[in-house]
Amino acid sequence: MRGRFAPAIFLGIPSVFLVAMFVLPLLSMLVLSIWRTENYHIIQDFNLNNYRVLATETAYQTFLLRSLLMATAVSVICTVLAWPIAYGIILYGGRYRLLLSLAFAVPFLTGEVLRIIALQGLLGPIGLLNGVLMSLGAAPLRVIMYTNFASAIGLIYLYLPIVVTVIYLSLLNFDQRLIDAAKIFGASPARAFFEVTWPLNLFGTLIGFALCFIPCLSATLAPRFLGGPNGTLFGMAIAQQFAESGTWALGAAMGVVLFAVCVLLVAIVARLLDLRRTGFTGFGRG
Amino acid sequence: MTKSKSRSCDAAVSSALSADRRTVLKTLAAGAVTAVAAPYIRPASAAPTELRALMWEGYAVPEIVSAFEDKHKVKFSPTFFDGNSEAYNKLRVGGTKDFDLVQADGYWPGLYFREKLIRAIDYARIPNTANVYPVFQPDRYKLLTDQTSGEHFGVTWCWGSYGTTYNTAEVPKEKVQSIEVLFDPAYAGRLSTSARFEENIALTGILVATRMGTKDKPRPDGKPFNPYVLTDEELAEVEKLLIQQKPLLLTRYQDNTTLQQLLESGAIVAAPEFAQIYRVLVQKKMKGETDLDFAHQLVPKEGGLGWVDTWLVTSGVTDPGTLALCYDFIDTFLAPETIKKISLIAGTSATVDLRPISTPEEQKLYLMDRTEELSTMYMFDQPSSTEKWERVWSRMQAA
Repeated sequence: MRGRFAPAIFLGIPSVFLVAMFVLPLLSMLVLSIWRTENYHIIQDFNLNNYRVLATETAYQTFLLRSLLMATAVSVICTVLAWPIAYGIILYGGRYRLLLSLAFAVPFLTGEVLRIIALQGLLGPIGLLNGVLMSLGAAPLRVIMYTNFASAIGLIYLYLPIVVTVIYLSLLNFDQRLIDAAKIFGASPARAFFEVTWPLNLFGTLIGFALCFIPCLSATLAPRFLGGPNGTLFGMAIAQQFAESGTWALGAAMGVVLFAVCVLLVAIVARLLDLRRTGFTGFGRG
Repeated sequence: MTKSKSRSCDAAVSSALSADRRTVLKTLAAGAVTAVAAPYIRPASAAPTELRALMWEGYAVPEIVSAFEDKHKVKFSPTFFDGNSEAYNKLRVGGTKDFDLVQADGYWPGLYFREKLIRAIDYARIPNTANVYPVFQPDRYKLLTDQTSGEHFGVTWCWGSYGTTYNTAEVPKEKVQSIEVLFDPAYAGRLSTSARFEENIALTGILVATRMGTKDKPRPDGKPFNPYVLTDEELAEVEKLLIQQKPLLLTRYQDNTTLQQLLESGAIVAAPEFAQIYRVLVQKKMKGETDLDFAHQLVPKEGGLGWVDTWLVTSGVTDPGTLALCYDFIDTFLAPETIKKISLIAGTSATVDLRPISTPEEQKLYLMDRTEELSTMYMFDQPSSTEKWERVWSRMQAA
């Protein structure tokens, strides 16, 4: 009996949680997106005008394109930076491996707002960098003050620890003896890396990439505080609909579009990659 | 027979036990319900134990709040908001039950009253309302009085404009007397505006209407010009002008601390603001903490935006005890010594005449002799169409 009910319990509880906390809010968002707002009032009549606006108004498409570019650039940079860091910890961390990997989680002990405001102070006109430059008689670096470049720095700062941790965990579970085997059979260290280590940790890398890419796509705080006049991203534009302008229905439609874009991208990646060859073991033996 | 009797006796015992179990369960259930509901149930006549306010953070001065709590033996629970639209949204989704007091400025209290989010109040119960400047009295400041019933629904508290604070060494006074200074290529990269879409569009709307000559002409709605009610043609021009302004801005500041840093560091030379940072910087100059000189243009020649922060009582306040507490709270906050303390901390001008208890410097810095200028300003208001205004703002951001 216990065995018969165990799967239902162990799968049922997370399913109920997912339905209550994820599916229902998403459905409510979907419903809101087909209503409309008029001067801070929600008018409950079915229409697809919000989607028409998103399809025809180039401003929202620009925000989405900016977000896609920003998320791609930040995720690629984070992945490129995270690999040597995680690999270094695995190879040379010794008994301090755990400590080193935990050190990367330290920034998470403070809130995201605090981290962004601290960074604003660092990159701002009287921040550490420009302060030093100006005290040396040089002109302040305008490129790090309220630009998309500053936003990118902020996002890398926010999400690099996540990517490092995920790749570190992937490498931790990777059987290092496979590299030794490759070398014994004559592979150079580079070839062993690209033909053994990299492909067998590709799934972990993809997870790290996705955990950076998806929040970057909906980033609000970094572009708001660091991005400057040209730094509005899609997530920030969504936040504006729900906070300042009260155009909730349009904001809901933007949320639905963002969700659809994320699902589409994940589907494309899943289709392009053979997960069985990426170190993914979730398919079972079947 | 014995067996039968015994069974009957067992049944009786069982019945008795069953009854006991039911009673116990009922009692437990009633106890649990009472325990859960107790904090929310109290007799209507009971004295209130908490006062809940939806307000701007700068005005919640801990020292004054604590004194009020001690005097009235209540807990003051503030919830902070940034803009009127945020507070309005909170009230509309059931906030009248969650808050007793709310703050708003400009035309917003009138909207709240029309939508029955706030209730009428009795000035006779708030004696300190007699101390406010004439320009804020109901006979001249009409935004807190229902024109049909004559009922008052708010008390003025602090006031200001969305004027321009500027570095006097970098920007000549004659230039800053016009809104044009915020669109002057001579200051490219050295200007900033707030991130508030309503005030950016409205201020630009004043300039656009002045340039188009539509400001003083009859308006489509038959009313005098209001920068929050712009025609489609004016909005199109506003959009163009805001797009032209973008390269001139270093950033749109999100908070006062950022604005202060930008001005103090010399990164920007002018920015429209509520004069709070101007006062901070002037005080720093007096203390020798900065070398830069700053001045503030209260109203540009084309016309400027103004605001009067008010205290309002929500329609959720129905019992006399809580209403009396709300009146006491407003009266306490309007007392000259109290409002002066808050005014100095928040950096805003008070609607109460504080000249008898202020130094000449304070009188100048807090515009105590310039309250009459308020009547020349356009009050903060709700945009005529938030949807159209949002589109203008988004197009500008994407351009």
